[in-house]
Amino acid sequence: MAGRRRASVGESTPVRTLVFIPAWNEEESIAAVIADVREHLPGADILVVDDGSTDATTARARAEGVLVATLPFNQGLGAALQTGYLYALREGYECCAHLDADGQHPAAEVARLLAEVEADRADLVIGSRYRDPDAVAASDDYRPTLSRRIGTSVFRFFLTLATRQRFTDTTSGMRAANRRVMSLFSENYSPDFAEIESLQLAVRQGLRVEEVPVRMLERAGGSSFLTPLRSAFFIFKGVVVLLVGQFRPRQAETER
Amino acid sequence: MSALTLAAAKTTVHLTSQTRIVAAVLAIAFMLLILELIRRDRLQERYSVIWFVAGLGMLAGAAFPGLLKLVAELLGVRNTNVALFSIVLLLLLGLALNFSVIMSRQAAQITRLAQERALEKARAQAAEDRNGGGRVGSEQARPESERT
Repeated sequence: MAGRRRASVGESTPVRTLVFIPAWNEEESIAAVIADVREHLPGADILVVDDGSTDATTARARAEGVLVATLPFNQGLGAALQTGYLYALREGYECCAHLDADGQHPAAEVARLLAEVEADRADLVIGSRYRDPDAVAASDDYRPTLSRRIGTSVFRFFLTLATRQRFTDTTSGMRAANRRVMSLFSENYSPDFAEIESLQLAVRQGLRVEEVPVRMLERAGGSSFLTPLRSAFFIFKGVVVLLVGQFRPRQAETER
Repeated sequence: MSALTLAAAKTTVHLTSQTRIVAAVLAIAFMLLILELIRRDRLQERYSVIWFVAGLGMLAGAAFPGLLKLVAELLGVRNTNVALFSIVLLLLLGLALNFSVIMSRQAAQITRLAQERALEKARAQAAEDRNGGGRVGSEQARPESERT
């Protein structure tokens, strides 16, 4: 996969890339995810953002020899992702990508997202499970639950309405981004509604957001946090957030 | 029907001197409590202003009962009791909203603080591992040959 790195016009300096992995109580799967990223993205630096885990996530990740940023208490996925973007921005990485720590996201697919960003075809690239309908039907690698399917279609509808751009996998946690996105997300990122609002925000700021069809796997460890009732609330909240987001100023100058 | 409206119109606030004294004492006690909380560093001055204003409002209402009636008439509310409750309710609503705004700002500040601290510790760890010869983190530290 190292061959995918961009040969920027005539020279072959590797693009400085950070892959960060937000993790909350993922001690069972974190080591395997790190190994996967190392195998498929050998040139990238790895940062694990431990979102206040109560298990041995930090220790396991550290044992793998990667950099670990441990948040002192759980603050939600958005805050963890923002930590990654902040680090990538400050350390001067040209590209960054993130994937879930539960083993659902194959690192080989992340490499494909990064290739899109490195080739400057988009500012933000989302890995979508649903982009390619044939692949969804053919593979039984990934089987979403009913509540997740409902949530996905509701978010898809409203986000498409809000951004006038077609999105299929709005809650995907597999993304690659360049510095423009880093500077936006390290300042403006909803702490508890990371995935959808960030897409809306990026599109509103005029960034090029693109979806790439990817293959995802069943969870390797841990359990999904979504119970039916929570899902319903999650969906409701998401719609409200999207609605409010439409009234936000386009230029991100509000200081948080 | 007409008897009912008549009865409603009659139930304006009629403060006896006794209730007025009680209200004034309560208002003064309330403001003293605020002062005491500031003195003991349990309340910051910038959050106390609004409570002082509330205390002064209570005191003014107790000292000049005509004031409330005047406000009610200005608002076009016939029943002074309704006017009183409405005003208080709106003020409390505004106060609660004000606290939510403050809370949101502080939550964002806490998050950023936690992120800064986490990254600082990660950097310290990276520096430590580098000294120990570990293969971690910061790209600059790694030799060029190892990258490809």
